[in-house]
Amino acid sequence: MGAYVLRRGLRTAIVLVVASIAVFYGLRIAPGDPTGGVLSPTALQEVRDAYRQRLGLDEPIWVQYGIYLKNLAQGDLGSSLITGKSIPELLGFYGRNSLVLGLAATAIIYAVGLPLGALAAARRNTAVDQAITGVSIAGMGVPNFWLALLLIYLFASRLHWLPSGGCCAPRQLVLPAVVLAAEGAAVTIRMTRSSMLEQLGQDYVRTHRAKGLAESVVVYGRVFRNALNPIISLAGLRLGWLVGYALIVETIFQWPGLGYLLVDAILRRDYPVAQFFSLLLVTVVVVANLLADVAYGIADPRIRHA
Amino acid sequence: MAIASSEAPALPGSLPARRAIDAGPLATAWRRLARNRLALLGSLVAVAYILLGILGPIFAPYDYAKQSLLQANLPPLSEGHLLGTDQVGRDLYSRLVTGIRISLIVGFGITAISMVVGTAAGAIAGYRRGWTDTVISAIVEFTWGFPLILLAVLFAGTLGPGLTATILAVGLINWAGFARVVRGEVLGLREAEFVEAARASGLNEPRILFRHVLPNVLAPALVMASYYVALGIIVEAGLSFIGMGAQPPLPSLGVMIAEGRNYMLQSHWVTTVPGVAIVAVVLGLNLLGDGLRDVLDPRLK
Repeated sequence: MGAYVLRRGLRTAIVLVVASIAVFYGLRIAPGDPTGGVLSPTALQEVRDAYRQRLGLDEPIWVQYGIYLKNLAQGDLGSSLITGKSIPELLGFYGRNSLVLGLAATAIIYAVGLPLGALAAARRNTAVDQAITGVSIAGMGVPNFWLALLLIYLFASRLHWLPSGGCCAPRQLVLPAVVLAAEGAAVTIRMTRSSMLEQLGQDYVRTHRAKGLAESVVVYGRVFRNALNPIISLAGLRLGWLVGYALIVETIFQWPGLGYLLVDAILRRDYPVAQFFSLLLVTVVVVANLLADVAYGIADPRIRHA
Repeated sequence: MAIASSEAPALPGSLPARRAIDAGPLATAWRRLARNRLALLGSLVAVAYILLGILGPIFAPYDYAKQSLLQANLPPLSEGHLLGTDQVGRDLYSRLVTGIRISLIVGFGITAISMVVGTAAGAIAGYRRGWTDTVISAIVEFTWGFPLILLAVLFAGTLGPGLTATILAVGLINWAGFARVVRGEVLGLREAEFVEAARASGLNEPRILFRHVLPNVLAPALVMASYYVALGIIVEAGLSFIGMGAQPPLPSLGVMIAEGRNYMLQSHWVTTVPGVAIVAVVLGLNLLGDGLRDVLDPRLK
């Protein structure tokens, strides 16, 4: 097991180093530069050049990368070229907001997905099942940004019940959390349902029934617990998707989380912010996938010897 | 995403099995698909979408970027504007069909290419095993499962926002999905008796792989393709919506929705028209995928 974790961990580290170089180079060879976000469009070329020189952007990219690594080794993560705020400062504020939104969405995904999926499986081929399945198919078909607009239109513009965006009151969290959770909840319903149905066909279920256990104990006690395995093993993947969807949802609701910050930094070519937070999100995703694999390896010995 | 079992009620046991076998597997599959009304509806929507995307822009009544302030905010079914106009008087039908063409290119086009690449890579990895498999699997392992939207935003950061970034991200992630599934199937198939028989009768390896093994992985690959097309369409629209994909005035469906969002109270159709188009095709493709899986998966027969 130790060797397996080490091998996967090493591969993850290599990927992260390659990703950091790619992001660093990619951002700098892309069209545009940070002066566009700070200086007026009519600024003289000399002013622009002086500004670039002050930021160290006139050096060759590999020299810049070396300086970046040297600063990194001294614990200096850099700061925004546009607002001047330091990276740890940004991480504290935006990171906390992302965490709040992500946790709220995750809670909704499983609080809605697991019970509804189990219910649909227990009442297979009844009106209840069809209604739940229908809702989950719709949930996967409606893109989250479109769902966001519909909910903003209904709850903010028409009914005035909830704000259309902003941060960080609980009332402002409701719509983004629901939108971020929608697709995941729909997928979880379908996975729980099919996983339950698969379990319900197993021999042990017949044994439990034959020995006289109440049907509700069989379904919600025994079967449900076994049906959870594939769902848990895909939780790492879900986290990755949540990070991706958060880019869109946070931008729509102007929820100042990491996704919002990253999209904004990329559009304004704020290199230090863009590269740090791209790498942070990539790391979160890659490590989540790694943990999921390792957890799966612990649960199923066949995997780690493959 | 495609993780669920059969949604269709069990077929009545009266399948005319003999005739079905005589008619060949494709005809059988088609007959079973035609019986699944939801899947049929899904494939009709998909076909309509493809036709609109290919032919629509050719026969569009207006230039998608032509503004006409005197004709602004006309509701659908106005004279000369079937679906109405937007806030600067551009014809929504002409914009819609161009938007559909863009999502067709990203959704169907890129998925088709990545299906070919991924299937080939997965088949070779699964069939050859050894170091080929190790290398391909290592790449697939990291690519698959990486969030498409995050990758697309990173590409947008390095290439500048635009459709190229979206297309690259969709292609790079999706081929790995196909490769992963096909490799798994081929690993099992290469030990199958009919493959052994083919080998014993002296056929060369490429011929065995392409003529005997690959046709058997087509089914799972096709099922996956229908979900991936839907995913590609959603991702393209979403990225364009937040300004990371297609750039105005190019009317990607996401761009259209973004441009209309500030006018939802006055002229909701500017966002409703492209929104309904996306929802319809994505739902249609998901239903088609569910139906295809029920029809093509031999384990359900």
